Amino acid sequence: MKKQLMKIAFAAFATGLVLTSCKKDKDETETNDEEVITTMKLTFVPVGGGTTLTYQFEDADGPGGLAPVQQDIVLAPSKTYNVSVQLLNVTANPVDDITTEIEEEKDAHRFYYIPAAGSNITVSNLDNDSNGVPVGLTSTWTTTAAATGSIRVVLRHYPGNPPGKAAADAVDSPKSGTDIEVNFVTRVQ
Amino acid sequence: MFLFLAVWVGESSAQTCALTLSGHAEDLDTREKLAAATVKLQETGQQVFTDQNGDFRFTNLCPGTYTLEITHVSCDLQTKRIVLSRDQHLDLLLPHARKTLGEIVVESQQPKPAGRQQITARDLEETRGKTLAEALSRINGVTLLQTGSTISKPVIHGLHSSRLLTINNGVRQEGQQWGNEHAPEIDPFIAGKLSVVKGVDELRYGSDAIGGVILVEPRPLRDQPGYAAELNTGYFTNNRQYVMSGVWEQQLKKVPAFRYRLQGTFRQGGNINTPDYRLNNTASREANFSVTAGWKKEKFNTEVFYSQFNTKIGIFPGSHIGNLTDLLNAINAEKPDPVFLGQQTYSINRPYQQVSHQLAKIKSGFSLGEHKFTVSVAGQFNHRREYDIVRSSSNTSPQLDLSIATFTEDLSWEHPRIGNFTGMAGVSFMQQDNSYSGRYFIPNYFSHTIGAYALEKWRKHKWELQAGVRYDAKNIDTRRLKFNGDTLDYNFSFSTLAASVQAQYRPSAPWSIQTGISLSTRAPYVNELLSDGIHHGTATYEKGNIFLKPERSLNSTAGVRYDAPSKKFSADWQVYANYIHDFIYQQPRPDEPVLTIAGAFPLIEYTQTNALLYGTDLALTAKILPRLEWEGKLSILYAKDRSRNDWLIWMPSNRYTNELTYQFKDKGRWKDSYISASWQHVDRQRRVPDETNGKQDYKAPPAAYDLIALNASTTVKAGNVPLTFGIGVQNLLNTRYRDYLNSMRYFTDEQGRNIGFRLRVPINNGNK
Repeated sequence: MKKQLMKIAFAAFATGLVLTSCKKDKDETETNDEEVITTMKLTFVPVGGGTTLTYQFEDADGPGGLAPVQQDIVLAPSKTYNVSVQLLNVTANPVDDITTEIEEEKDAHRFYYIPAAGSNITVSNLDNDSNGVPVGLTSTWTTTAAATGSIRVVLRHYPGNPPGKAAADAVDSPKSGTDIEVNFVTRVQ
Repeated sequence: MFLFLAVWVGESSAQTCALTLSGHAEDLDTREKLAAATVKLQETGQQVFTDQNGDFRFTNLCPGTYTLEITHVSCDLQTKRIVLSRDQHLDLLLPHARKTLGEIVVESQQPKPAGRQQITARDLEETRGKTLAEALSRINGVTLLQTGSTISKPVIHGLHSSRLLTINNGVRQEGQQWGNEHAPEIDPFIAGKLSVVKGVDELRYGSDAIGGVILVEPRPLRDQPGYAAELNTGYFTNNRQYVMSGVWEQQLKKVPAFRYRLQGTFRQGGNINTPDYRLNNTASREANFSVTAGWKKEKFNTEVFYSQFNTKIGIFPGSHIGNLTDLLNAINAEKPDPVFLGQQTYSINRPYQQVSHQLAKIKSGFSLGEHKFTVSVAGQFNHRREYDIVRSSSNTSPQLDLSIATFTEDLSWEHPRIGNFTGMAGVSFMQQDNSYSGRYFIPNYFSHTIGAYALEKWRKHKWELQAGVRYDAKNIDTRRLKFNGDTLDYNFSFSTLAASVQAQYRPSAPWSIQTGISLSTRAPYVNELLSDGIHHGTATYEKGNIFLKPERSLNSTAGVRYDAPSKKFSADWQVYANYIHDFIYQQPRPDEPVLTIAGAFPLIEYTQTNALLYGTDLALTAKILPRLEWEGKLSILYAKDRSRNDWLIWMPSNRYTNELTYQFKDKGRWKDSYISASWQHVDRQRRVPDETNGKQDYKAPPAAYDLIALNASTTVKAGNVPLTFGIGVQNLLNTRYRDYLNSMRYFTDEQGRNIGFRLRVPINNGNK
C-alpha cells in the first residue's frame, strides 16, 4: 500500500515534468494599441487659390523605438489658409483614421494652436462642437511678414462624464489631459 | 468553547482492559510540539503529561467511550470524545488561547521559532476588512507601498514586489507582483495566520527571497467530528465600505478522515474621503471564495484546495497623466481640480484595474516509517486588465491585458530525527507562461525553474543551530510580436544560489539571543529586462535592460529578546544589514527624454548598483497597571547606494508607535473586552538621492505625520454563541497628510477619519 502510494506520487511528479512543452509561439501578433496616434497631418488650402500644402509629425512605430519625423511648416507671407487636421494610426492595418473618433466626440476634445510671439501667424475661426465651444478640427491661419518662429499644437481630452468642456478653458486646464502636444518650427517666407 | 456530554459505557468485566491510547499534541497555529500539556480521561480520572515531543500514552484501558481533556498553558481547554475498541493513536491540534492579551503571555512561554515574526491574533482581528498588506504592516519592520488607499503592497525592511515571496497556503504566489501598483491577489480572510519568515526556512520556497517570505496560512481543517461556521461582517464609514466573509467547515462523523471547508468574501467600498475632499473613482469591489477538502489518515493525508480572487479597483483620474506638462501641473496644484472631486458613489469608471487570480492545488503527505513525504502540485492563473482613459467612450477593451499561467510541483522529504538533528530536503519545479494583448509592456514569455534545497536543524539544551542551501536554475524565453509581424526574441538563463545559517541561544528562560546570515540570489524579472513603454501614473518612459545580472544579497541579522518572568515587561530588539550586490533599480536619465506625439517623456531605465540596507526594529511592552499595558515599537532604516555614495529612492522613513491597552475583567457574559489607543509617528524621509546632477523625484518627500487610532472589542455570549464586536477608528483627528511611499502623494492627501465596525459570529457544533 505504502509503496504503491509512493509510486503514484512520484509518477504524478514525473508526469508533470514531462508535460512541459514550450508554447510561447503564439499565432497572434501584438494586438495593436488602438490608443496610439502616430501621425498628425495639417493640410493648408490657400484662400483665393494656390497649391495645397501638407505638413506632418509622424512617429511611425508609436512611442519609443525610432524617433519621430517632424516637418517644418513653411507658409507664404500675407496669406490666409483654411487648415484642417487629420490624425492617423499607421501601425494599424488598414491605417486607422482617428479624426473620425474626435469628430464623433467633439464635446470631449479640443485643439489649441499657440504660435510663439514673432512667428507672424495668427490662428482663428476654429470650428465648434454642439455646445458652441471650439474643437479646432478646422481653423484659419493668417500670415503677415516673413519670419521664423514656432507653433504649439495641442489636443486635449476631457475624461470627465459629462466632460464639462467650456470656452474659457485654458490649454493646461486640469479638467482635460493631453493627447497630443507637438511644437512645429514655422517659416513664413 | 463546547463541551461533550460524556457517556461512559460501562463494559462488562468479561472484556479485557488492555488497550492503549497514545497521542501527540501540537499547537494548531505554530505547529510546535506541546510539551507538558495535561491530558486527562474524565471517566477514569487518569491523568498524564505530554513529554518533550508532545507525546502521551494511556495503557490498560477498557474498551468504551472516553472523554479526553487536554490543557496547556498557551492553549484553550480542549475535549475530545473517543470510542475505544482497539489500540488507538490520536494527533491533537490545540488552538491558541483566544485571549487577546494572552498572546503576549504565550510568546513569553513559547519562544518564537528563529527568524519568524507572526501577526498577533488581536492585530489580525483588528485589520479584518482591510487589505492583506495592511494586516501585515502590524508587524514591526513591515511598511506599505501604496497607490491611493485601495492598492497596497507589503514592504519588508525597504524591499518589496519580486524581492518578497508570498506563500499562499503553501504555494508560491505567482501573479504580476512586479508592478508597484499590483497588490497581492489574496483574500486576507483566508489567513488564519500571517507571518514573515527570514533565514533558513526561506530556502524551502525559493533562492530569491532577498526581502523575506510572507506566509499566508489558513487554519488546518477541522479535526473533530461536527461542523463550525463563522461569519465576519464589517462596515467602514469613510468610504462606506462593507465586507462580509463566511466560513463553513465540517468533519463527517461517519467518515472521520474526510473534512472540508467553504469560504467566501465580498467587499465593496465607495469613493475615498480625505479630510478636505472626496476622491472620484476610488471605489473598489472584491469577491473571493475558496474550497478545501481533506482526507486524513494516520499514514496518509491529502488536501485539495481551490480559490478564486476577483477585484476591480478604480484609479483616481486626476493621477492619470497625458504628458509631462500635465504631470507637473497636477503635482504643483495644492489640491486636485474640482472635476475630480466630490462624487459619493460605488461606481467604478476608467481608469481602473480588474484582476482575477485562481489557484488550484493538491497536496499529499505520507509517512514511510519515520520518513515524511509531501507532494504538492499547483496551478495558478492570473489575469490582469488595466483600463485607461480612452478617447472614444465606446471603447470597452482593456489597454493592458496580461495573463499568466503557472504550474508548480514541490516534493519534500523530512528525515527522521537523528540524535538532535531534524531536517528536510526537497525539489521544486515551476513553469510559467505569460501572454499579453493590447499595449506592450512586458513580452510573452515561457519560463521554467528547477530547484533543490536541503536544510538541517540541530537543537540541544540552550542552543539551536540551523543551516540550509538551495540552488535554482531558471530559463526565460521571451517573444514580443510587433504590430508589423516582426518578432523580437530574447532568451535568458540564470542560476541562483542561496544559503543560510542561523543560531539561537537561550541562556535562561527569559532570554533568547539569535543571529544569522543569509545569501540570496534573485534573477532579474521580465519587466526589469524587457519593459518598454509609457507609465501613465508617473508620466515616465520605462525601459528594461537585457544586460542585467542576478542580484545577490548577503543579509545578516541579530536579535535579542527578553520576557520578564513576571510578565510585566518584554523587549524584542533586532538589527540587520542587507548588502545587495547588483541591486536592480530604476535610474532616471534626464539627458535622454523620449519624444512622442504627446510631448517628451523623461526616461527611466533599469540599472544596477550595490546597495546596503541596514536598520533596527525594537518592540517593548510593559504592564503599567495590572490591566493596563503599554507597547512601543520603533523601526529605523537606512538605504544606501554604495556605488554612488548616495541614498536610495522610495524607501520607507523611520517611524514609531505607542499604544496603550486597557483590558477589562471578564464579567458574566462579557469576555476579552479591551480598549486601546495608539499614536503613530512617521518621520519625513530625509534620506533621498542627491539632486545636484539632475532631478530624481518630482516632489520632495512629504512632511512627517502623526496618526491616532482607537480600538475596542468585546465578546459577549448570546446563548451559546460568543459574539465579538469591535470598533476601530483610524486617523481619529482627521489629519491631513501624505506618505512618501504612496504614489498618490504627488496628487492627493491620504484617507481621512475612518470608523470601522466589526462583528464576528462563530457557530460551533461538535455533535452533529
